[in-house]
Amino acid sequence: MTDTLERTDLDQETLRVPEASWRTIVWDDPVNLMTYVTYVFRSYFGYPREEAERLMLLVHHEGRAVVATGNREAMERHVHAMHGYGLQATVSRAEP
Amino acid sequence: MIVAGRGAGDGVRLVLEAEEAMLLSELADQVDSVLLLGTDDDPALGRLLPDAYPDDVDAGREFTRYTRDNLVDGKRQAAQSVRDATSVGDGERLVEIELDQVQAWGWLTFLTDLRLILAERVGIIEEGTPEQDEQRDDYLRAAYEWAGFVQGSMLEVLDPTES
Repeated sequence: MTDTLERTDLDQETLRVPEASWRTIVWDDPVNLMTYVTYVFRSYFGYPREEAERLMLLVHHEGRAVVATGNREAMERHVHAMHGYGLQATVSRAEP
Repeated sequence: MIVAGRGAGDGVRLVLEAEEAMLLSELADQVDSVLLLGTDDDPALGRLLPDAYPDDVDAGREFTRYTRDNLVDGKRQAAQSVRDATSVGDGERLVEIELDQVQAWGWLTFLTDLRLILAERVGIIEEGTPEQDEQRDDYLRAAYEWAGFVQGSMLEVLDPTES
């Protein structure tokens, strides 16, 4: 990939990125029990057990997982909730 | 300690020995104190209230401004409810606690916050760091393991896996 493609003006990028392009990321934490993280994903997001476990394992093995995507406000709500549960979560813009 | 499923409903029933209840009550009080009195440079508080935007200082500050009080209130309420539920009457040997699902969530999140603080205090993350006060660390480490055991047992009741 060339430099020119990567170098985008921040303001332009903000305009370009559609509303839905934000992510909720949950990060691995050596403290939280795997069963707890799964239960949080199931209860809060309503994911079926299989999906909740897949995401939990992704967090565990890869160090992080995208657990939701959508507009920024919704992602901030999710991260707020995750912090309430004691999970390490961040909001970030999806890479184009 | 015994954790058992409730006959009716989808909550959980805990039976604690008086010493366990007193320990939990004391720890809940300490968690409440960290939340009430902790300063921003306390790394344990950083674990309870993480940065939502590690790459964007302004957005992170804004997020904190809107969420922090609510998070602190929720965590303090959870700690206080555990403290109140674990008060031991004179001469009581066992403390029985019935929790519905909402109350059980309060306990689960409290136990998580407690473990995050204890982990920070004894350095669960960095292995092999020199122990400053071994006796104190042994005590905190035991409390950390025990809180994990309580939480794990509750989850077996609240979220049983097939097989």
